[in-house]
Amino acid sequence: MTDHDNDTYRAQFDQDPDSLIACPACDTLHKAVPVQAGHIARCTQCHFKLMDPKPDTLTRTVALSITASILMVTMLCFPFLTISQAGLTGEVSMLEIIFDLSHGWYNILAVLVAAFVLALPIVRMIALIYVMWPLHQGRPPPAAARQVFLFAEKLNPWAMTEIFIVGTVVALIKMMGLATIGFGIAFWLFCGLVVVIALKNAAVCRWTIWTLIRKSPL
Amino acid sequence: MSLDNLDTDPKVAFMTRAIDMGWIGCHTCGTVHEGDQTHCRTCSAQLHSRLPNSLQQTWAWLITGALFLIPANMLPLLSNLVLGHNEGHTIAEGIAIFFQTGDYFVAIVILVASLLIPFSKIFVIAILVLSIQFRWQLDNKTRLLLYEFVEFIGRWSMIDVFVVALLAGLVKLGAVISILPGTGAICFALSVIFTMIAALRIDSKTIWDAHPKDTIE
Repeated sequence: MTDHDNDTYRAQFDQDPDSLIACPACDTLHKAVPVQAGHIARCTQCHFKLMDPKPDTLTRTVALSITASILMVTMLCFPFLTISQAGLTGEVSMLEIIFDLSHGWYNILAVLVAAFVLALPIVRMIALIYVMWPLHQGRPPPAAARQVFLFAEKLNPWAMTEIFIVGTVVALIKMMGLATIGFGIAFWLFCGLVVVIALKNAAVCRWTIWTLIRKSPL
Repeated sequence: MSLDNLDTDPKVAFMTRAIDMGWIGCHTCGTVHEGDQTHCRTCSAQLHSRLPNSLQQTWAWLITGALFLIPANMLPLLSNLVLGHNEGHTIAEGIAIFFQTGDYFVAIVILVASLLIPFSKIFVIAILVLSIQFRWQLDNKTRLLLYEFVEFIGRWSMIDVFVVALLAGLVKLGAVISILPGTGAICFALSVIFTMIAALRIDSKTIWDAHPKDTIE
């Protein structure tokens, strides 16, 4: 760390503060030199992914978010699991499972499942579509694009679809002795949903989106 | 793995942090600001050079999470209501039952998700916060690994909460046997949520403040 380097950063900051980036994970300054799509720019200090531009990041994210929303809504309409016990067969959808839970203090569990597995993932998808659709169309970012995309980013750790699918498998094995369980259509749709959501999250380059949003007036 | 590092200029090989220049780097998007700004011009997030009271807040959430983990392991996670006879079992008893019946896959998944991850997570967050607080000579690479562990692994503890919710929601169909969630399940869920918040309150920038020149190359 020399005064010379600090002077370079100072000069660059005075000229255009957006030409610098401070690693969000460790605060190290870098010159923000855009990298080619498909390449990854990592922090020289902590290897945090600073830029991760994807070819067609907007098209991909919007397309996958719409796909995921449709899968989510469709999934809710179909039986998730089928149960046969002593000659009786029943079918339950995700919503029925959640409503069956909602008695007394079990409501807390029902709310947790509804929020983490259904509500938060779909809110995040809608937020991404809201921000990225106009950008994809070449229009300026929508009103409050900053706040909405920030909110979508903050939601990320709380959307737990992939964890729920593992929970389902464990629950099925636990139940094997008690009843015969089969997978309903919604289970397979849900598996598809988990894959689409993973692809969608991988298609988002935050740096690209923030750069596009930054150009809009505050 | 292709690493296109941003600073290709060899003269800028040493690390200057935004704080060294009197600037603030946004914690969300990395935009660099003058030290007197309060909100990021790019992403509208609140700006702080370092998150205020990050350590106290992490401790508060972590201790709450640890306290909830005690009843979560003492109280039954599930009660099987078999023909009116109510028998509950805790997390540890549940794992033991699966080992006995030979369902090793389930036993191991629950062992990892419900016992190993929650306990080791609290332990790891505590080590991390202590090492930041007292500037322990722990190298940054280790701390970064610990940080990533709590960031990405912590949410997987929710598996058991979902299992309980599913079982309780499903088994009501059969009239003979029914499974009810136990109080332990709710304590467990709260413990997972509180420790997730604790992990989010850690300011990873402070990890690097103790030894700013120690890179992980």
